[in-house]
Amino acid sequence: MALNDTTLSAPTPALGLRKAWRRLRSVPPLVTLCIAWLVLMIVTALAANLLAPYSITAFDLKARLAPTLLLGGKLAHPLGTDELGRDVLSRLIVSIRMSLLIAFFGTLISTALGTTLGFLAAHFRGKVEQLVLIAIDFQASMPFMIIALSVLAFFGNSLLLFVALMGFNSWERYARITRGLTLAANEQGYASAVRQLGAGPARIYGLHILPNIASTLIVSMTLTFPEIILLESGLSFLGLGVQPPLTSLGNMVGYGREYITRAPWIMLAPAAVIVMTTFSISLLGDWLRDRLDPTLR
Amino acid sequence: MLLFAASRLFRALLTILFVMTFAFFVLRASGDPALLILSVDAPPEALAAFRKAWGLDQPIWQQYLAYIGHALTGDFGKSMRDGRPAIDLVMERVPATLAITLPALALKLGIGIPAGIYAALHRNTFADRMTMALSVAGFTMPSFVLALLLVLIFSVTLGWLPASGNDSPVNAILPIITLGTAGAAIMARFTRSAMQEVLGQPFVRAASAKGLSWRRVISHHALPNAAIPTVTIIGFMVGSLVAGAVVVESVFAWPGIGRLLVSAVANRDLAVVQALLMVIAFWMVMANLAVDLAYGWLDPRVRSARAGGH
Amino acid sequence: MSPLLEAVDLHRHYSVRTGGGLFAGKAVLRAVDGVSFRIRAGQTLGLVGESGCGKSTTGKLALGLIPPSSGEMRYDGERMPAAGSPAWRALRRRLQMVYQDPLGALDRRLPIGTQIAEPLVIHGIGAVSERRDRALSIMESVGLQRHQFGRYPHELSGGQRQRVVLARALITEPRLLVCDEPISALDVSIQAQVVNLLLDLQERLGIAYLFISHDLRIVRQVSHDVAVMYLGRIVERGDAENVFARPAHPYTRALVSAIPTVGDKRERILLGGDPPSPANVPPGCSFHTRCPFATAQCRSEIPTLQPQDDGREVACHRVRETALRLVA
Repeated sequence: MALNDTTLSAPTPALGLRKAWRRLRSVPPLVTLCIAWLVLMIVTALAANLLAPYSITAFDLKARLAPTLLLGGKLAHPLGTDELGRDVLSRLIVSIRMSLLIAFFGTLISTALGTTLGFLAAHFRGKVEQLVLIAIDFQASMPFMIIALSVLAFFGNSLLLFVALMGFNSWERYARITRGLTLAANEQGYASAVRQLGAGPARIYGLHILPNIASTLIVSMTLTFPEIILLESGLSFLGLGVQPPLTSLGNMVGYGREYITRAPWIMLAPAAVIVMTTFSISLLGDWLRDRLDPTLR
Repeated sequence: MLLFAASRLFRALLTILFVMTFAFFVLRASGDPALLILSVDAPPEALAAFRKAWGLDQPIWQQYLAYIGHALTGDFGKSMRDGRPAIDLVMERVPATLAITLPALALKLGIGIPAGIYAALHRNTFADRMTMALSVAGFTMPSFVLALLLVLIFSVTLGWLPASGNDSPVNAILPIITLGTAGAAIMARFTRSAMQEVLGQPFVRAASAKGLSWRRVISHHALPNAAIPTVTIIGFMVGSLVAGAVVVESVFAWPGIGRLLVSAVANRDLAVVQALLMVIAFWMVMANLAVDLAYGWLDPRVRSARAGGH
Repeated sequence: MSPLLEAVDLHRHYSVRTGGGLFAGKAVLRAVDGVSFRIRAGQTLGLVGESGCGKSTTGKLALGLIPPSSGEMRYDGERMPAAGSPAWRALRRRLQMVYQDPLGALDRRLPIGTQIAEPLVIHGIGAVSERRDRALSIMESVGLQRHQFGRYPHELSGGQRQRVVLARALITEPRLLVCDEPISALDVSIQAQVVNLLLDLQERLGIAYLFISHDLRIVRQVSHDVAVMYLGRIVERGDAENVFARPAHPYTRALVSAIPTVGDKRERILLGGDPPSPANVPPGCSFHTRCPFATAQCRSEIPTLQPQDDGREVACHRVRETALRLVA
């Protein structure tokens, strides 16, 4: 968590979007591959219902633990089946949708929460700012896995609560960035100039500061997104995240673990998807960071 | 320096108090603790007795003070499952966790730091690129995937190592490797960038321009300065040892506090969760404190303040 | 006629930490310490002094951007509303500002035309369709080309950016502009253009200026009245021509004598060292540590502004003797 933002402290004005776009035009091949994989994942998530050949709860008791095509399986179940004869490919497609949805909403919540708190801290200063800073310190000093586990213990589990909980992951990163950049903009510069023009807070923060810090926030989202996928899949793997009959990538790995000797494909397919997705986003994020925001590294 | 240590200690205590307060209010917010801890179908007289024993019939600030008082003496109540004091359950699991996390830490530092320094000194060579590629993989590979892959290779396919259990020291090998590899990758990446930053600084260039041997420049000028940011990351790693152990202990059925936490959460054994939360928070805070004090030792600015300037 | 803008005994103090650690002491930094002035409609007050003397803080106080610790700002005889309040925001139509760093004062992400028209949007002035035309006509009157409407700030030169800032400030037809070092970040060749533009606008539109600068030549060129600040206080104030031609306060004389002129025959007064920290102002006359004429009285008694025969005001115990010495 704290690894990537150790050098975040120095706030600098972010680039304009047009300039940003100019720097993005030459894309190295590995990054292209990553983008292609991510596009595939997004399409899979969006069209999950159309793509999945079977229902995730459809049993095919005659084809239990059928192997994948690679290990001599049949075309009916290209990625094999589990011990109830459920199609692994269909479950994988639905799991991808679930995991991406959770990570997507988690990242959005985290960004919105952190940015709002950052704005509040920078706007009100004084006690509000101190309170936000204490919360940031606390969040950064406890591993979020532990906080998440204790909240799940205290409140029990439901999908809504779980997504909201994921949204608390690394909000402090956005709060720190937003506060720093807003203070800089308020001290001297365009924000104080717009204020002097008579603009209200909504216009200053929404129309001027937010668009100016957006590229920095977007780059940070490429850190949060894979973090949430890892956290969600870890918790689901332990049986504490997404609950059956719903399924996510972590669920599938946790479930497949019991068949690791007889049917390792149940576990390997979702594990590969997790690793490739987080790897792709991290690489894409690294590249975006180098291009858009040299101060982050 | 003493003042510095005192203010850090104060902050550490404040964080622990904050965690206690967090646990207290989250517990209260989640419902009636008597019902939660004793279960819904407990007899009314038992509930009443529990409420009296824990002072739940008193105003909230008194409850809070009483809670802090209990927590300070290590009293978090009894485990719902076997009725033993929660803190005892936690403390008896600590050695098992240390038995895998400490060797893993040694592995992280022992591989990560030399690899990072080597990569920084041989920039853009094959070894450098390999180190960096591996470190991205270590960053993005979830520990449970790595753990299961190791099981698949070394237990299922090769049959060399046991997949789970804790009957012999051999059982600890796979958990240690799992914990150590990812950490080593992160450590290598971090050391490399810290080292590179220092190598680009004017004082390092000045030292080599002065005619010092490159070896001496590295050992006397670059390394001590690169150590300062590296200590931060080591502190963070020490602090998050337990968090990392949660998943790995579960995969390998290793009886440490990580696995205890997972089962306590699954069973909503709140007394045990609270005790664990406090022990982990204490551990984190101590690690951070150690890092802060290590700064005082490493950073010449703090050091000269202590020695009265030289 | 009542003044457009009036400052009455303004103070602005900050508490600052001295040293570090837990037992750090606190000190009061008197950035502005009892400043009064008046600006009449269509006139310019020049505010001069070394950096750190409280000029910029006075500028912010004049606009009501920050509240005074004590004292009062009055616009049109009314007390300045609290910063950020609806009344304060409405007043921005009439009180505008020009900045030292025009690039920093502009949003780098928006085309300049949008930014020039923004005050109209903020204050709900004119119909949506009219705003573009008004922006274009104000652009022309500050010397920008119509085709630059869609340009971004970084595509313009420093002088053009300052014109954009001016256009944005002027579009709501303000009655007063606070100009805080408006030309010191510009190339020398551009400075004259911007100064002439400011003078021209004043003549055409009857705008008043509070002109803050450390550059005495420019201040002399644009100001009707001038006030000289030293460590948060005004030490001399009066008609610009008078003050610059015959400076009375030793500090003013030092500043004026430092202006390079051709065929310089005047006595030059050199100031030793830097001004003391405003967190640690010397007792008595704060200038006594650098003043060649300081006496025991100067070290203990704070001089107040006293009116002189020619209408100016000077805060100096020894103004009469030293003035005599100069004539003789």
